[in-house]
Amino acid sequence: MQFGGLKAVDQASFEIPPGRICVLLGPNGAGKSTLMKMLTGLLAPASGEAMVAGLDVHKSPLEVRRIAGILPESLGLFDMLTVEEHLHLCGPIYGLSSEETRRRTDQLIEALALENGRHTQAGQCSNGMRKKTALALALLHNPRVLFLDEPFEGVDPVTAQTIGELLQMSVKHGVTIFLTSHILSIVDRLADWIIVLRGGRIVWQGPASELKGTLEELYFDLVEPLRVADLPWLGPSQS
Amino acid sequence: MAGSLAILSALARSVWRDLRTFGSVGGNNLLLFMLLVMYQQVQSGAFFLIIMSVLLLGPLSGDPFRKIPRDRLALWPLGVRERIALRAGSLALSPVVWVAIVFLFWTGGWSLGLILLGGAILMQVGGGVSTRWREGRPWSPAVVAVPKFPGRWGGLVRKDLRQMLSVLDCYAALVLAVGGWLYRAFGEKADPDAFMILALVVVIALSTYAQALFGLDLPWGVARYRVLPLRGFEILLAKDLAFLCIAAVLVAPLAFLPGLAGALVALAVGHHASVTRPAPQMRWRFTGGTLWPNGFFQVVPLVAIGVATGRGSLWYLGLAFLAYFSSLWYCGRIWDRERGSTI
Repeated sequence: MQFGGLKAVDQASFEIPPGRICVLLGPNGAGKSTLMKMLTGLLAPASGEAMVAGLDVHKSPLEVRRIAGILPESLGLFDMLTVEEHLHLCGPIYGLSSEETRRRTDQLIEALALENGRHTQAGQCSNGMRKKTALALALLHNPRVLFLDEPFEGVDPVTAQTIGELLQMSVKHGVTIFLTSHILSIVDRLADWIIVLRGGRIVWQGPASELKGTLEELYFDLVEPLRVADLPWLGPSQS
Repeated sequence: MAGSLAILSALARSVWRDLRTFGSVGGNNLLLFMLLVMYQQVQSGAFFLIIMSVLLLGPLSGDPFRKIPRDRLALWPLGVRERIALRAGSLALSPVVWVAIVFLFWTGGWSLGLILLGGAILMQVGGGVSTRWREGRPWSPAVVAVPKFPGRWGGLVRKDLRQMLSVLDCYAALVLAVGGWLYRAFGEKADPDAFMILALVVVIALSTYAQALFGLDLPWGVARYRVLPLRGFEILLAKDLAFLCIAAVLVAPLAFLPGLAGALVALAVGHHASVTRPAPQMRWRFTGGTLWPNGFFQVVPLVAIGVATGRGSLWYLGLAFLAYFSSLWYCGRIWDRERGSTI
């Protein structure tokens, strides 16, 4: 994928085994969101192909969207709809009956602790609540594949834990999850498969079990070394 | 007192910025129509001018304190006197007061000036009470009360109806339609052709919205459309159904078929701009489109096909449907190709 002269993602080739959680890591601007957009058919690659559950993303974009649950970077919520109305809007679009949509809405709202904001319009919701609403939308139609762009960003620790458990439960039901995150402590526990991206290229990929050290060590080794700058204007050190 | 002055000056800046957002009216088809009418006969355009002015000034003349987060206002160390001074000072930020001052001190219209001043005070008090009442509630019960429609696109149609009910175009059209209904009910020797023309004027008032069907979805809502398993024509159709619902309700008591023909033409022309060059819109403002070429090519055929349909030739209604479905198909394909990436 190329933007002007800049190659946002270059020669990215990988295959995720089904029923796994694949975590895509990389610094800001590494091409994670671009790769995610290519896999969900929102951006067309300049060359190459992307297959999701055996479907070519660019030849069958609607079929891919039907079987995939997507949490986009921008969350994609309508300011004028409440949390509940978002779910009621999307259920029938994915072919769920009204009754089934209502049942799943109630369960997702409870599972994601959204009861308090159920009737709050998205425009008035907190960032965490918006993120949970978008996640509920991704899960509503029981997708075979989940694409989640930064699902843990901006949510409180309890919610992050809840989301993590939901994802692990989904995997037990055969769902394949592809997610990006910067929160290494959480993804370290979740990841079955890891892809590290730097400057648009994959610099490491493989099963999490093959990691020699911690995920944090791999990240700082491969992506960028930790930088700690002293700020002289803070005054002399007290310790 | 310095604190109050600082807050008032920040509020004044905010009101000034708000005033600038009303510039969207410059690209509204109703303005184009009003200017054309005024070109023919200045007095005839006055009615439209009054409607647009009242609708424009209304949202600006409410409680200016709603611009300040309640928690922030509570945290500022302001005494009772300062708060009263702030309240009184904020009255000067109401555009209705500015108009009242013109009448009081320049044109000599004392009684009208005082009425306007009283109106401005009432609007601010009412705005303040409503801000308190609405706290934590959805901002407009009337808009929220839109029911869910059945079917696959039912939720989308409801959302699109809500969006449409939150732009001033709808209320301008409502005022015009109510005027027409009253004329029909109580007017002596009402000219039957007048109802057809009134129905088309109502559609003109709504038509700019058809150029900006994604205007209130920007930027985040469009991202949702992009990931939903829907074809472009389905997304547009849901939006069009909302548009046609409102148009049908308003024109039904006047002249339904000419109004419907006009609405279909407005959508047929508006689709292309909606899909390829959508402009972000704001709630409680007039929709801002482009008068040339979109507005012109909406209004002229809209009136022509509406009048032809009204004169009894249903072929023209068929032509409007044909134009509409062709545009739906063509612009739906553009959406499918781009998946909204032009938006």
